[in-house]
Amino acid sequence: MNTMDLGAGLGGIYLDNNATTQIDPKVVEAMLPYLNVYFGNASSQHGFGVPVEKAIERAREQVADFLGAEHPDEIIFTSCATESDNTALWSALWSQKGKTEIITTPVEHPAIMQTCDFLASHGATIKYLKVSGKGDIDLDEFESLLTPQTALASVMWANNETGNIYPVPELAEIAYKHGVMFHTDAVQAVSKIPVDLKNTKINMLSFSGHKIHAPKGIGVLYVRRGTRFIPFMKGGHQERGRRAGTENVPYIVGLGVACELAKKHLEDVNSRVRALRDKLQQGILSSIPECFVTGDESRRTDNTLNIAFKFVEGEAILLMLNEYGIAASSGSACSSDSLEPSHVMRAMNVPFSAAHGTIRFSLSRFTTEEDINKTLEVLPQIISTLRSMSPYWKEGKPQIQGLDHEFDADSKEVRA
Amino acid sequence: MWDYTDKVKDHFLHPRNARVIEDANAVGDVGSIICGDALRLMLKIDPVTEVIEDASFQTYGCGSAIASSSALTEMLKGKTLKEAEKITTQEIVDYLGGLPPEKMHCSVMGREALDAAIANYHGQSYENSHDDGELVCHCFGVGINKIKKAVWENHLTTVEEVTNYTKAGGGCGSCKMRIEEIIDEVWVDLEKCGVPRPGHAPTPIPSITVSTSTTSSPAFSSIGTVTSAKGATAAVEAQIDEKTKSSPIYDDVVKILKEVSDGLTDGSKVELAAISGADVIVKLEGPASSGMMKDMTLGFLKQKLTDGTGRQINVATR
Repeated sequence: MNTMDLGAGLGGIYLDNNATTQIDPKVVEAMLPYLNVYFGNASSQHGFGVPVEKAIERAREQVADFLGAEHPDEIIFTSCATESDNTALWSALWSQKGKTEIITTPVEHPAIMQTCDFLASHGATIKYLKVSGKGDIDLDEFESLLTPQTALASVMWANNETGNIYPVPELAEIAYKHGVMFHTDAVQAVSKIPVDLKNTKINMLSFSGHKIHAPKGIGVLYVRRGTRFIPFMKGGHQERGRRAGTENVPYIVGLGVACELAKKHLEDVNSRVRALRDKLQQGILSSIPECFVTGDESRRTDNTLNIAFKFVEGEAILLMLNEYGIAASSGSACSSDSLEPSHVMRAMNVPFSAAHGTIRFSLSRFTTEEDINKTLEVLPQIISTLRSMSPYWKEGKPQIQGLDHEFDADSKEVRA
Repeated sequence: MWDYTDKVKDHFLHPRNARVIEDANAVGDVGSIICGDALRLMLKIDPVTEVIEDASFQTYGCGSAIASSSALTEMLKGKTLKEAEKITTQEIVDYLGGLPPEKMHCSVMGREALDAAIANYHGQSYENSHDDGELVCHCFGVGINKIKKAVWENHLTTVEEVTNYTKAGGGCGSCKMRIEEIIDEVWVDLEKCGVPRPGHAPTPIPSITVSTSTTSSPAFSSIGTVTSAKGATAAVEAQIDEKTKSSPIYDDVVKILKEVSDGLTDGSKVELAAISGADVIVKLEGPASSGMMKDMTLGFLKQKLTDGTGRQINVATR
């Protein structure tokens, strides 16, 4: 395998950072000794284990500091955010006898949605908040759903597709008032917005390393002291008996460094990266007709832009972008395994006609102005090429006579 | 990113005939913006010679939908209408050097647009198959309604039978569990109508009530070859040699092949050529006679015949 071939050619432009991020070279550097030299098991009593154990505790402090957690022992290392999410949901149900309800939103990541579906088929009651056309939720509605039977409220901090930021500290406060445990999937929020857990009522928080320039295969579940908890993975005393399994030492060390770097670069994301995102948005909206931003422009992460291009299909746009070495992603059906557009677009009632043409650009601190300029240079041509092939795009085109069928581009229909 | 062949990429990035033929006399529209793909196929057919003089398309859809449309127009140009009718989805796929399994329905859409254009040329309308609800089988683009209909009308009880009738589940097989669910759903209604459901023990094929397959709906006989297959079976019977006829499994084999043939709704036909011991020689026609479909059909027949006769049967074509 040619290790220099990224698929998009050298110097590819990576605007898919909500899917995964490149590993910061400093993270790799920090990990290497724990791959090359320090192979010991942190649980061992002998000398091989000691430096490893210390490295894990150091990383735990770095993560706790990054999240603003009061105590480092509130940090549990897991394999990924999906494991953290599963753990949070199962633990909330198992540890609170008689409580069988979970409150969540219809725009969560599948790690929450599909686990909820499973739990529902095994007796739990799942209540979904409504979301508006912009993807926002209503705090009063949230409060009205909380009952003495509610085991957990789980609301994502930021949405992966639209970047929408949800009022998680406020929601946690409301849940606390009603004695309800609160969990948030913060995968898309950490490293993009300030997080200070000690000044919130959040009980549990999940995130993963690979969205913040650490490698894949490492995640975190924050569990506030005093929160009822039952481990999901059993079979060892690691992580104070809360997550069995020998610690993934190099990745834990890498995550610690990634958290430190993310904290340091937060300001850069909130200013420079945000300006690039805004430039991309303005550039697209001013040069391409018939497109619109999905989600809530006033409350979204600074790195994310989700835009719907009417009359064209997302996967075709991605393929053409890829020809120019530009990587983005789509909520279209064809770019996923399912044949329907993303559940987020459907929950927001974006018509299928537009949902199929949504493209998400997600930036990172490694994104440059040149990347954005190049994208703005090629995108209008791509959209117009595809539109010229589309039976829905009629502008300035002659019509064939005697058709018994017209393609309805403005269909508001959604399939069940 | 999907793993597309160079040919698919070429036809996507440099589509042939992506334009409007203003004086087209055969236009086929399939799909919708709701489904995420739509294709308008435009043909200019010489009314005297019925030669397709020009073909073009407009497609809304993913890369492979555009590439399949482009390939189809290239395949159509210069062909007579009769030749064009014979183009199969597999030939479109082969022309492109293959499509990812998830994208096979793109070639199906092309084939449907061709049907629609031909119907339009003859002054008929064509109901496109995207109206058939939730897409269950992604490989062959078969929707839930088509499967339900097949189960309902033919009292099908196994996934295998559904594959036989609709092709659903015949590709990667990932929808087999869903098909099982659909069969159960339909049988709830069937039982309400007083039809007893056969036991859950694997049902040998003779228990399919042959009488119901002869009362297939008009939709089936219009796409399929129920009537002609019957005629063909009779004709073949006359040609079959005495050795074949004296085979102890002759009656079973004829019956099973007939049922399979009747169940093929894509214009394919299966006929008996000869039986020699445990070797059954068949003749295949239509889409089932070539490529991946041929292998699948032969494999399927082998299993059916082995199950139905209680012997290890080998199936081959001549």
